[in-house]
Amino acid sequence: MTVNVMPSKVLIIGGGDGGTILANRLVRKVPDRVEVEVIDRSDLHWYQPGFLFVAVGEAEKEDITRPRRRLYRKRVRFTKGEVERIDLDDRKVRLKGGEERTYDYLVIATGSTLNYEEIPGFKEAVNHMWTFDDAKKLFNRLMGFKGGKLVVGVGGLTYKCPVAPLEIAFLADEFLRIRGVREKTEIKYVSPLERPYPPRLLSKVMVENMEERGIEPVTYFTVDEIDPERKEVRSMEGDSLKYDLLILTPPHRGADVVIKSGIGDDEGWIPVDRYFLNVKGYDDAYAVGDATALPTPKTGVVAHFQASTVADNIAYEIMGESKRVMFDGQSFCLIEMGRGVASAQVSNYYYKDAPGLIPSRVLHLAKLAMNRIYWTCILSGNI
Amino acid sequence: MTDVSPTISIDARGISCPGPLTNLIKAYRKAKNGDVIEVLATDPGFKSDVKAWVERTGNELISLAEEGGVIRALIRVTAR
Repeated sequence: MTVNVMPSKVLIIGGGDGGTILANRLVRKVPDRVEVEVIDRSDLHWYQPGFLFVAVGEAEKEDITRPRRRLYRKRVRFTKGEVERIDLDDRKVRLKGGEERTYDYLVIATGSTLNYEEIPGFKEAVNHMWTFDDAKKLFNRLMGFKGGKLVVGVGGLTYKCPVAPLEIAFLADEFLRIRGVREKTEIKYVSPLERPYPPRLLSKVMVENMEERGIEPVTYFTVDEIDPERKEVRSMEGDSLKYDLLILTPPHRGADVVIKSGIGDDEGWIPVDRYFLNVKGYDDAYAVGDATALPTPKTGVVAHFQASTVADNIAYEIMGESKRVMFDGQSFCLIEMGRGVASAQVSNYYYKDAPGLIPSRVLHLAKLAMNRIYWTCILSGNI
Repeated sequence: MTDVSPTISIDARGISCPGPLTNLIKAYRKAKNGDVIEVLATDPGFKSDVKAWVERTGNELISLAEEGGVIRALIRVTAR
């Protein structure tokens, strides 16, 4: 087996948690054998699970952001720039302004983009917390809410963080109770599926908690269009609901550069090998995190485990070792439920009925701890 | 067996709940009346989920069969 002596050029597009963890882990594993560059259009890194806490006034921008450059190990080069084109056949990446990069290994970690157009009326009518600005706006709406009809739940069907709509339903309930307007508020939770919380084992617990808090599940309600004038949301099943405040998941799609480069499916998600994450048809290009077309949840924890898998396998290949590790589809989502408790959902490629953990204070504390250790233990690529 | 040919095919094999049904609903969003959607799934819960969904949405379940661990549902879109 031959071992390369020249450092391998590893180019990572996207500096979210997947890109950052991958870069740091790779330079830790094989510091003298790689030149790692991360390109991202922003020099600020957002801890996106923090948007939930912004929406209920428990976090501010400084709690959930860090300058990107401070998050990388010394050997990682960070470039602020926008990638315009990815050419997998020629192993070339073009940046806005005309600059080009070549690579030995490419990792596409471009995440997902909001796609309001999919649901007519969405942009005008809906509050959500999938960006910092939107989370702030939602906080202001909740602060000013005087009671009425709150409709919350699943709007767009492909969205980041599957448990987020349920979390904001529970937290909004608690927030409005504290503000003293909950008795004047009716909360309905909409879902296109048979169960408001789909995984069967934890579903019963979630429905019981919703009942206890007076949150009414409205199932088989697939949001089709919203009429901001009449304050009405209509479903494909032919039902409609009036609202005074509407909180729904925004539809997502893949990044523009993926779509423009013709390497995604019809929604811009990149087909990859489910175990090794290489872009189908290529052995020198990978995708991790939200960017992939895998059936795993679009969450930070999945991006984390995928990034570790790809980093380790690139390191093994560079070292000339035949060992490889596989991604098993694993996800672990802590579900914040208000009242000082959280539950958790576990899933992977193999469980037919994905297990869940019942609500407890320990899991709530774990969620709060994650808000902090993300910046140190997680992004460093150490674990 | 039926000889109705699907106009839209979804391969949701290896995807756990609620993936197969979510993919069906995403296809349904883009479908028109007369389309026939085929879903292949391995999640055992999909059988009861798809039956309930078709009943609730007023579409037509042409067939629902399982062979070698793969569930195949054919749905005619009639309620768009």
